[in-house]
Amino acid sequence: MMKKLSRVLSPLLIAFLVLGSLPVAAAPQAAPANSLVTTQDALSADQVSADRERINEMLSRQDVQDQLVAQGVDPADVEARVAALSDAEVRQMAEQLDDLPAGASVVGALVFIFVLLLVTDLLGLTNVFPFTR
Amino acid sequence: MSHLLERQAPRQQSERQAWNARTAGVLLLMAAFLLLSGCATGPRLASPVEMGVAEHTYIDGVPFHAQRDYQCGPASLAMVLNYSDVDVSVDTLIPQVFLPNRDGSVQPEMQSTVRRYDRVSFVLDGNFTSLLEELDAGHPVVVMQNLSLPLWPMWHYAVAIGYDLDEQLLTLHSGEEANRLESFRRFDATWARSERWAMVALPPGELPVSVGPRRAMDAIASFEQANDAEAALPAWRSVTERWPQDAMAWFALGNAEYGAGRPEDAADAFQHATERQPDLAVAWLNLGLTLEGLGQRSEAHRALQQAASLPSRWQDDAEQALTRFND
Repeated sequence: MMKKLSRVLSPLLIAFLVLGSLPVAAAPQAAPANSLVTTQDALSADQVSADRERINEMLSRQDVQDQLVAQGVDPADVEARVAALSDAEVRQMAEQLDDLPAGASVVGALVFIFVLLLVTDLLGLTNVFPFTR
Repeated sequence: MSHLLERQAPRQQSERQAWNARTAGVLLLMAAFLLLSGCATGPRLASPVEMGVAEHTYIDGVPFHAQRDYQCGPASLAMVLNYSDVDVSVDTLIPQVFLPNRDGSVQPEMQSTVRRYDRVSFVLDGNFTSLLEELDAGHPVVVMQNLSLPLWPMWHYAVAIGYDLDEQLLTLHSGEEANRLESFRRFDATWARSERWAMVALPPGELPVSVGPRRAMDAIASFEQANDAEAALPAWRSVTERWPQDAMAWFALGNAEYGAGRPEDAADAFQHATERQPDLAVAWLNLGLTLEGLGQRSEAHRALQQAASLPSRWQDDAEQALTRFND
């Protein structure tokens, strides 16, 4: 009984699946047979060579997503953050996130350094202490 | 007696060495200070007339958001975005730009977050004059400073909103202080440590006054990638208006028109690009492909032949496309 049912059902299922995937495959292409060269590609033409770069770009976007999670960013926010980055910014983040300055206005330093900074503040070279203006 | 002297000699020597070291240290420190203060002369500026800016300016109506904890990045972004009529709060921006484990925000994400609010982020060229020019044009500028010394950095974002050339003062919304006045000299010393990073956020269609075409186009191309062609169209139009002789600007406008579903306008723009720079192969290629899509086969054929005849990275693509015209 089960066997008979499945013998009838499976060809039907297969047919449905094939039909279901057809419209996607047959969807008309928005672009002509060859798609246009994008502005980003054309602008970067003199800096990098295209195809290998694009693969690297995808890998580094994934890499940056992982790095952001490691930096304590909520995984729910990560994808949108990386999507807003340009290719050059992704490269910058992937290669040197740890070295990039992070604007935070705190100074992680020892007491004697504060004395030094006080002097440099008074000399007008730095601006660590608000009262030295 | 003789070996007493001998025993004393090494001690004298070590004392002398210590004294020498101390003197050397003091001298070194003094030299370091002299060197540092030597670097820290105020920025050399041309006269206001030469720079083409007013003697003083203050951009009215830039809202101030005091930073909490280490969040000068999100606070600075909120100020410039609010000023540009984007209704967004610091609290919304924090999870979008702040890095909790770094207790701060990095420059690439400051630039990218602006794009999420339909504004183009332009990084300026790092000249003091450019900063003044933008302020004079009414564009508040996000700046990055290292308020401390390079060895113990204290990175900080602030928003410059005005200046006074007479008094040599810059006005900034900074940290917990609105309308803070900083001398040009001190500001430039702290700003120079970030390699004078500065950014303006403008709606597509407006351009910073101080940037060149290449810098503007890079910024808009990044905006277009993060958003879409339709949103970037006004920005590309403004680039072709400002630099009508720049072929790449017309090329980029063509791509945006095409992406926004207007192939006729795209073909027009590509045509302009090839007129400005007849050896710009990529413009001929896109012109050919667009005309092909429009069914104008003979014009398309001619454009693709041009693209194939010029030595460039796109030569193979052009030849590939030409095979469709063989029959």
